[in-house]
Amino acid sequence: MGIHVLVKNATLGATLKMDLGPKETVYDIIESAAEFWKKDPRAYVLRKGKSLLRATDTVMEANILNDDVLELLPDPEGG
Amino acid sequence: MIRAKEYDMDRFDRSKRIDWVNIDKIGRARCLVVGAGALGNEAVKCLVLSGFRDITIADNDSVVTSNLNRCVFFRGSDVKEGMKSDILAMRASELDHEVTITPRRTLAQDIGDWDEFSMILGCVDNISARLHVNAHACYHRIPYVDGGTDGMYGKVQVVLPDGPCLQCSMNRSHYGIAETRFSCTGNGSVFYVPKMAAEITTTSAIAAMQIREAVKIASGREDICIRNAAFYDGMSGETIVLEIKKDDRCANHEEE
Repeated sequence: MGIHVLVKNATLGATLKMDLGPKETVYDIIESAAEFWKKDPRAYVLRKGKSLLRATDTVMEANILNDDVLELLPDPEGG
Repeated sequence: MIRAKEYDMDRFDRSKRIDWVNIDKIGRARCLVVGAGALGNEAVKCLVLSGFRDITIADNDSVVTSNLNRCVFFRGSDVKEGMKSDILAMRASELDHEVTITPRRTLAQDIGDWDEFSMILGCVDNISARLHVNAHACYHRIPYVDGGTDGMYGKVQVVLPDGPCLQCSMNRSHYGIAETRFSCTGNGSVFYVPKMAAEITTTSAIAAMQIREAVKIASGREDICIRNAAFYDGMSGETIVLEIKKDDRCANHEEE
């Protein structure tokens, strides 16, 4: 059985329900959410609470649990 | 005996009233500011006014008209005539003639004497330059405060020796963007920086946060620095501070 999480879009305020397997990575979540919202090609990161999640970690390694709320944030590049 | 209103004769009297600010240590710091664009202008302004006395500015670009909506030290008469680093150094020096500001017309990639500096401020506009500065900061164990903006969004990340670095928090979306900046023309490679939304209020807020962290570091108070990155949303006014785990697989930490 998969893990169900809610992914928030920090720029749009929209949310997305996502089903995850334990071996999927944090980057899989970032890529899927950016694709769903047809986001511009930009750099993004994902947070859970007060922690920025490491993109190479699996769902299990990142300790992502059922009903967690994750937030997709743009990582600003300009100067 | 004291002189009446002596406190109004000291430029840094009000700064010294913040108990953790150490103006003497700040004055001895040697700062390298990489990038003399919008963030660089605001950062250098705040550095000078905060008591930093030795500032080097590295940038290889010239002023264009579209810089003028957010670069406090540039003027219309500078467009095409002047290099950003030269003009920023000259005008910021007017704020305090006791400050030494050295401009360098150079790319981040061509800076060779990193260990001459005790602190680095990243004010660049692309991921490749950030990764380059970050790698040198880690290698030379120099505290590095990076800033970035995108329209009304911004980020400040503090990289301290032994802590997580910029690369620890990056992923394939960063590297994908970095790759799209390069294109091969057949006669060589071209580096392309897209025109992003940018305005002064967010730029100013992010640069101010960068220099506040620089003041903490120079004062010997790394313990009160942001751990590790602050993400700013100018629309809601919210800032969230996120912890970043050090990645042992990161190239900058492999040999530690």
